[in-house]
Amino acid sequence: MLTVSDLRAGYSRGADVLKGLRFDVAKGESVALMGRNGMGKTTFVKALMGCLPHVRGSITFNGTEIRGLPPYRISNLGIAYVPQGREIFGDFTVAENLAMGVIGKPLKVDSVDFVFDYFPILAERRTQLAGTMSGGQQQQLAIARALVGRPQLLLLDEPSEGIQPSIVQDIAMTLKRIAAEEALTVIVVEQNIDLVFRLATSVRFIENGLIKTGVSIDEVRSDPTLVSRYLTV
Amino acid sequence: MRRPSSPLTVAVWAVLALCPLVVDDWNLGLLAQLMIYGIFAMSLSFIWGQGGLLCFGQALFFGLGAYAMALTTKGLLPGVPASALVGFLLALALPGTVAFLLGLALFRGRGLVGPYFGIVTLAAAVIAERLAVNWNYIGGFNGLLDIPPLTFGSGDGAIEIFEPLPIFLIVFGAALVVYLLLLGLERSPFGTVLRGIRDNEMRAAFMGYDVARYKAASFAVAAAVAGFAGALFAIQFAFVSPAILGFALSTEVLIWVALGGKEVLLAAFLGALVVKSVENVLSDALGQYWLLVLGILFILSVVLLPRGLLAPVFRLRLPRGLRGGG
Repeated sequence: MLTVSDLRAGYSRGADVLKGLRFDVAKGESVALMGRNGMGKTTFVKALMGCLPHVRGSITFNGTEIRGLPPYRISNLGIAYVPQGREIFGDFTVAENLAMGVIGKPLKVDSVDFVFDYFPILAERRTQLAGTMSGGQQQQLAIARALVGRPQLLLLDEPSEGIQPSIVQDIAMTLKRIAAEEALTVIVVEQNIDLVFRLATSVRFIENGLIKTGVSIDEVRSDPTLVSRYLTV
Repeated sequence: MRRPSSPLTVAVWAVLALCPLVVDDWNLGLLAQLMIYGIFAMSLSFIWGQGGLLCFGQALFFGLGAYAMALTTKGLLPGVPASALVGFLLALALPGTVAFLLGLALFRGRGLVGPYFGIVTLAAAVIAERLAVNWNYIGGFNGLLDIPPLTFGSGDGAIEIFEPLPIFLIVFGAALVVYLLLLGLERSPFGTVLRGIRDNEMRAAFMGYDVARYKAASFAVAAAVAGFAGALFAIQFAFVSPAILGFALSTEVLIWVALGGKEVLLAAFLGALVVKSVENVLSDALGQYWLLVLGILFILSVVLLPRGLLAPVFRLRLPRGLRGGG
């Protein structure tokens, strides 16, 4: 579904963070991208979304080259992005935030209500200003807002960041259910191994702007040295 | 939170509508003039309050509309019939087109944001003012005098509108229509997207919105409304001069809107009415020191009540769909 080859990207010319990265995701996979801070995880998802000024190489999505397209075109091809820090609209109500997820979509979306099955708390809080909700609730809103546009590929950047462990578990379970029921392909950037074990079907480890190894989630479970090699400082 | 107040909003319009019953002709004419400034203020409120685009040169569009109307009705545009209707159409289309093209040029690619956009619009207004001063065909420094009043029909059956009461009613109707149209736009999905872009452009972009296009479109809408106000100004005042294109009026409208409240249309509209009326009273009493008072008031409002003095009172509830629960 997504094929990335020789991806070089960075924030200023001549200073690439990604140094010829290769990455493949098949339809229906839930891939975790793991690595230490500063290895290029967030840069990678931003490059996919067209949010970086300097990107070279090739990114194809369902056979279409998307490298160089502006973010709105990439989004409208069916890739939804839940960025680090959630980036909900704090002055908007929950309902308005969800509306932002569908208004511009090329497919006519009849209802956003299906996300309330996954995140019932949002139904209760439809009229609340999103900025006044807790971190966990905001994260649920950010995911729901990405889902209402009916994407095929969901990019999540550190969904566990700043959220208490019990809520992280809930979110991980819900994401797993969503991926299965909505036939979503998921790429999740994460350092929280607990969430990765609950959600991912495979793991790619990133180091210095390159994917070093890709393994199934079972291999990660049975070989703890993998995690310590790529994650501990 | 304060209770939303749509009854109050209705009351304001009702009071304005009833003014002809109690207000004399002289003041009725004055009120019509103030409402024209009010329409102009709503145009800035829309682009600044909803779109987050602080346009420092909004008078450029007001002036374009005024000149378009004046030149048309005076028959100075070759090949264009000297009719008020054509004047109105030009006064909408010309500023709207200029703003859309300017917007596309400014917002494409990485785009101009924040103060840079303000500076460019300010420069555009100042340039237009200089051009108008030096262009004799459109009256040069002296502007255009004796603009015909609004006329319906032609020949012997033509009806000229110059009495204060009909002018008041026409301007009132225009203000109400502009208010309802802009309010409808603000409360439509387009408005939601615009506020999303105002809050964070990159976020709106990766959620699938062509930010430059939305900004240029809203800029064009605001410019067309400003041009419409300018056209009304031309026929009501019977006089246009380069001053209405430039820096001074651009700054004035900014103050009305900031004092009233940029995010609430009616607050911006009333901001213009209130500041202008107070100016009429105080400039008699204080002379030039009135500007000092206005300046201090402006600074206090920006620091203490950044959302404006009137906005909290006239804020409306969200449309049902965005409140949810319906």
